[in-house]
Amino acid sequence: MDPIRRSLLGQLARLSAGAAMVPWSSVASAGINDQPARREGDPTKRYGMLIDLRQCIGCQACTVSCHIENDAPLGNFRTIVSQFEVEEENTGEVATFMLPRLCNHCDNPPCVPVCPVQATYQRQDGIVVVDNDRCVGCAYCVNACPYDARFINEKTQTADKCTFCAHRLEAGLLPACVESCVGGARMIGNMRDPDSEISRMMEKHRDELMVLQPEKGTVPQVFYLGMDERFTQRPEAEPGIWDVINEAGKELGYEFGH
Amino acid sequence: MSLVTEVVVPRYGIAWYPWAVQYFFLIALSYTSLWVAAPGIILGKQSWLNTSRLALLACVSTTLVAPVALLADLHQPLRFWHFYAHPTPWSWMSIGSFLLPLHLVCTVLLAWLAWRPALKARSQANDSWFSRIAGWIAWGNWQVSRKVMVLVGLAALATSLGMMIYTGAEVAIVKGRPLWHTAWLPPMFVATGAIGVCGLILFLNRLSGMRNADTNRQMLGIMAGACVVAGFIALTWFLDGANAVSGSVAAALDSVDQSSAWRTTAIEGGTAGVLLAVLAFLVRRAPGRRKAFGWILGLLALHVAWMFRWVVLMNVQTVARNSAGFHDYEIALGSYGLTGVIGIFGLWLTALLLIELFVPWREASLDPRRDAPAPADHSSATDAPASSASASADSQGVRHG
Ligand code: SF4
Ligand code: SF4
Repeated sequence: MDPIRRSLLGQLARLSAGAAMVPWSSVASAGINDQPARREGDPTKRYGMLIDLRQCIGCQACTVSCHIENDAPLGNFRTIVSQFEVEEENTGEVATFMLPRLCNHCDNPPCVPVCPVQATYQRQDGIVVVDNDRCVGCAYCVNACPYDARFINEKTQTADKCTFCAHRLEAGLLPACVESCVGGARMIGNMRDPDSEISRMMEKHRDELMVLQPEKGTVPQVFYLGMDERFTQRPEAEPGIWDVINEAGKELGYEFGH
Repeated sequence: MSLVTEVVVPRYGIAWYPWAVQYFFLIALSYTSLWVAAPGIILGKQSWLNTSRLALLACVSTTLVAPVALLADLHQPLRFWHFYAHPTPWSWMSIGSFLLPLHLVCTVLLAWLAWRPALKARSQANDSWFSRIAGWIAWGNWQVSRKVMVLVGLAALATSLGMMIYTGAEVAIVKGRPLWHTAWLPPMFVATGAIGVCGLILFLNRLSGMRNADTNRQMLGIMAGACVVAGFIALTWFLDGANAVSGSVAAALDSVDQSSAWRTTAIEGGTAGVLLAVLAFLVRRAPGRRKAFGWILGLLALHVAWMFRWVVLMNVQTVARNSAGFHDYEIALGSYGLTGVIGIFGLWLTALLLIELFVPWREASLDPRRDAPAPADHSSATDAPASSASASADSQGVRHG
C-alpha cells in the first residue's frame, strides 16, 4: 500500500469513534499479566547463552544429545537447529544458514505471568522452569511464547521446555547441547560474573550480538554472534517441508523442498 | 536479494484444541443470554418476559456445559483443583477459574428461583413422576422475595461482565500471536456473542413451539444492531492497523496474502457476516417474514458466532511463528477433535432436553406471587399455536393465538 493511502487510513482510524474504546484495554489489564517475583535458584547468578553462528556446522549433535538427556517425545524438541538454503539471486551462489533455537530464558518472559497455577516460574538465576507436578497442561504458556520454545509433552501431558539443563548445571556439568557441540558454538555462563567467559565474549562483541524478535519486548538471554538480521524474525522463506503420505494415507515422514 | 528455502525446521503443533472453541462459544452465549434474560426475569419488563424465559433456558444450558469443554481442554483435567490451591491473581486464566464457578452459581441460582413457582405448581398437579421430581427440584414450599431475586440477578449480571472481560483479555494479551494481540478482539467476541445468542433464542423460540412474535421482533432487532456493531469493530480494527508494519492487521493481511486457505476463510467469513446483516435487516421488517425465516436466520447467526471463534482460536494457531508457511491442521477424529466438538454439542442438547423434561421453564417468573394472575400483556400475542407443554402458561397471561 502506498504511504499516502496508509496515512489516510490512519486518519480515518483516529476519526472513527470506536478508537475511544482503546483505553479500555489498558485499564482492564492494569496490574494483571505483570511479572511475578522470581523464586529459587542462586540470586548471585544470571545464566545466559551465547551462540557463535560462525562456528555452527549444523550437525544437530545438540538436538540429539538434548533429546536423549531430557527424554523428549519424538517430534518435539527443546532445542533444534533450523537450517536454510540461501541463494544469492545475482550470483546464484548458495550458502546454508544455521540457526540453533532453544528457550531464550527471557528477562521479561511472557510465558510466566500467564500460567494460572504458577507452575511456570523464573528462578533468581534467570532460568525459566516448569513444575511438572503442578502444571495442569492448559497450554496457555505454549501459546504465549513467541519463540515456539514450549510444547505439551505427550508423555507427561504437561508443558515442557529447555531448562538450560538446570539439573546438570547444579551438578557442575555443562548443558547437554553445550557439552556435545562439535563446533564449540554454544557457550553458557553466569553473566553477573564479569570474568566469566560469556561476560568477556559479550563485552568483546557487544555491538554484533543479536537476539530473536527483540521488538516483542521479551528481552531474550540467548545471544547470537554472526547473525543475519533477517533471521531474527520469522523467515521469509519458501516452506521446504511437507508430509509424505503413503497409499494408505499414513504419514511416512518429512521430505525436503530441494 | 536472495532466495531463502527452509531445509530443516520442526513441525509445531497447535496447543489449544477444538475444546477451546466450544468453551468460548458456549461461554459467550452464556453471558450474553443472561443480558437478554435480564429485562424480563430481573427487571420485570412484561413485554420481554417470554424472550427472557427463552434466554434463561439458553443461559442455564450453556453455563452448565461450558465448564466441561474448558476442563477437557486441559491436558491434566484431574488437576483442576490446582487452580484453587495456587490462586494467581496476575494470570487472566486464574482469574477466570475463580469467576467461572461464581458465574455458574449465580446464574443457576437465579434460574432456579425463577423456575421455583412453576415447579411448585407442577408438584401440586397430578402428573405422577413429573410432579414428584418438580417437588424435589423446588425443594420446599418457601418463597423468596422479589428483592432477593433482583439481588441474585444483579450478582449474576456482575459475574457475566467479569466473564466477558476475562475471556476477551485472556486471548488478547497473548503477544506471541499477533493476530490475537489487539484491543479489538474482546469487543468482537462480545458482538459476535450477541449475534449468536439472538440466533439461539430465535431458534429455541421455534423449536420449543413458543413461536412468540415479540421474541422474533426483539431478537432480530438486536441481531441487526449487533451486526452493525461487529462491522464497525472490524472496520476500526482494520483502519487502526492498516498503517502498521507489524501487529494484528499486518499479520492478517500477510496470512490472506500468502495462503489460499486464509483467502477462502476471509471471503467465506465476510460473506456470511454481510449476508447475515442484510437478511437480519430484511427479515426484521415484516412480521410474516420474521415468523417464517426467523429461526433459519437464527441458525445462520449461530454459525457465524461459532465460525468466528473457530477461525480466531484454531486457524490462527496454524500461522507459523518461527518457520515459513502454514502448519497443517487437520481436525482429528478423536477426542481432541471432532468427537470432542460433537460431544459437547450432544451434552448441550442433553442439558436442554433434561430441562425441557423436568422444568416448566416457559413459566419462569420474577414475581413470586405466582398464584395472583399476572397482568395480561396484549402486546405479546403469539403468532402460532403454542405446544401443549405450555398449556398452563395461560394462567400467566400468555395468550395463544
Ligand atoms: S523463550 Fe519462550 S519459553 Fe523461553 S522464557 Fe522466553 S517466552 Fe518463555
Ligand atoms: S501448561 Fe502448565 S506451565 Fe503452561 S501455563 Fe498451563 S499450567 Fe502453566
